[in-house]
Amino acid sequence: MTGVKRLTALTRAGVMESLQFRLGTAVTLFGNLIYLALVYFLWKAIYDSCGASEVNGMTFYDTMIYLILATAIFNFLEMFIIWDMSRAIQSGEIIMHLLKPMRYRKYTFWSYSGSHVISFFLTFIPTFIVVMLVTKGAIPIGLNCVFFVVSLVMALVINFNIEMLVAPICLYTESTWGINIVKETIVLLLSGATIPLAFFPESFRRVVEYMPFRAVYDIPLKILLKKDGTNSLEGLLPMLGIQLIWCIVLTIAGNLFWNHAVKRITVNGG
Amino acid sequence: MQKGTDLGAVGSVPTAPSQEEKSMANEVIVMKNVSKEFKVLNRHEGLKGSFQDLFSRDYKTVKAVNDVSLTVEKGEIIGYLGPNGAGKSTTIKMMTGVLEPSTGDIQVNGLVPYKDRTRNSENIGVVFGQRSQLWWNLPLIESFKLLRDIYMVPEKDYKDMLELYRSLVDIEPILHKPVRQMSLGQRTLSDILAAFLHNPGIVFLDEPTIGLDVSMKAKIRELIRGLNEVKETTVILTTHDMGDVDALCKRIIIIDEGKKIYDNDIDHLKTYFGSYRTLRMRLEDGSWDEQVIDEKKTDVMHVIQETQKKHKIKDIQLEEISTEEVIRKIYEGSKAS
Repeated sequence: MTGVKRLTALTRAGVMESLQFRLGTAVTLFGNLIYLALVYFLWKAIYDSCGASEVNGMTFYDTMIYLILATAIFNFLEMFIIWDMSRAIQSGEIIMHLLKPMRYRKYTFWSYSGSHVISFFLTFIPTFIVVMLVTKGAIPIGLNCVFFVVSLVMALVINFNIEMLVAPICLYTESTWGINIVKETIVLLLSGATIPLAFFPESFRRVVEYMPFRAVYDIPLKILLKKDGTNSLEGLLPMLGIQLIWCIVLTIAGNLFWNHAVKRITVNGG
Repeated sequence: MQKGTDLGAVGSVPTAPSQEEKSMANEVIVMKNVSKEFKVLNRHEGLKGSFQDLFSRDYKTVKAVNDVSLTVEKGEIIGYLGPNGAGKSTTIKMMTGVLEPSTGDIQVNGLVPYKDRTRNSENIGVVFGQRSQLWWNLPLIESFKLLRDIYMVPEKDYKDMLELYRSLVDIEPILHKPVRQMSLGQRTLSDILAAFLHNPGIVFLDEPTIGLDVSMKAKIRELIRGLNEVKETTVILTTHDMGDVDALCKRIIIIDEGKKIYDNDIDHLKTYFGSYRTLRMRLEDGSWDEQVIDEKKTDVMHVIQETQKKHKIKDIQLEEISTEEVIRKIYEGSKAS
């Protein structure tokens, strides 16, 4: 009972801290508009030059809905663990986090949870509603929304673990910027957040499907849009199963790597 | 895990169990022959040197703490002193568990801090210089509530603690102020309050009064003393301000270049280099005659009598040597040797 309270207390503080940055949310929304305008014209040109109304089984509208929602999920999932950790290590601030009576990974995850709650309600939900209104019902509403939320929570855990697997690298390399860019690019490309996976060459797509990145964007979106057979239980469960397996594998890997990395702080003093 | 518990037991093989247990109960920190070494890359000079460093395996070992043993008893306020770079912070980091000693044993509240860092954290409080553990954008009271939940402090204890804070300092003006809007003094005060909030057995204060004005310093000293008295909290205080030491510490430990060079009462410290006093006498022509008297060689009355033979003394001032001066002598003395 009290164990749960310490976690929700962290969420609550995160929510309050996020609400301090009202302007930040507005800027994010504005940035998204520009990005989506770019995406719109880019894909319009691609479809126009093809001459076909359907490319790789996706119409222009399918692609747009997919990418807009991917952007919304991106805003929801976005964490700054790599930046925050490297700054904390350089300034020595990390000591204060290590001296909390909670395991560091747990403490970090729940410290971020509040900002996820806020971005879910302030960027994801509004985007979702706008897409719904504009497309007049392209997003099916039903049980799929419930499964989507479950899938999204697992995507959050997977994304957290990817960050936690990358962030401690800056302990070894003392450079953050490059690592962050590499991680960002790999995740966004291989997860299908910038280009739907359907557009990947067949052989490449096969490889990508065995990677964890797909579980961050592609699977939740497929479930929400009822694509790839996720409207039946037989299609849905394997998808959620893949996510669950990645959750477990990456949590274990993240734990091991962090325990190794934290030694570097406690033995060498950071 | 098993190995760890064995190690802990080796240090305290009890010869007379009852005696040992009794003294153990009061010892909150035990350090035995603790050393800490860091491996540092030998950097070369110039552009060419910088390229060499890319591939260099040329490490040198720096001993930040060298064979330090000490015990701290419950309820003590200890002044942990030493010149810059002496190894004070390293020692404190080892006691809190964020650094692992290279050799030697440490026990804090019966735990080995670096092995049990999370559990150890439940029973210690920390204020590290200008670092803050408070939530920057939130009013102080929210940080308090959050710490209450994280440390799982019962509601009643939390309320009592806030009551105690109110009786010691005027916290109302800062309680609802976001931390980022606070002055350095208010923030330090807040951080100290935050460190004591879960009523830990030991609080580590690493240069808490750095950069504060005299009145804030006085306030903070009063607060630390008050909390120590009421809650019997053990306080390990590092500082360069001898005012802090004079106001708070009965016992001081001095380290330099990683070695412990002094560990005793503050009163004893003043006789460390012989008991010096400064005698000032105003003579018949109005001028002040100043003499530093080493009481091992002569005494004040004797000097006055001698002077009276030659001059008429109109006024006398007698000054004890200040802690600051003694400490300076110790620092400089250890450098010279």
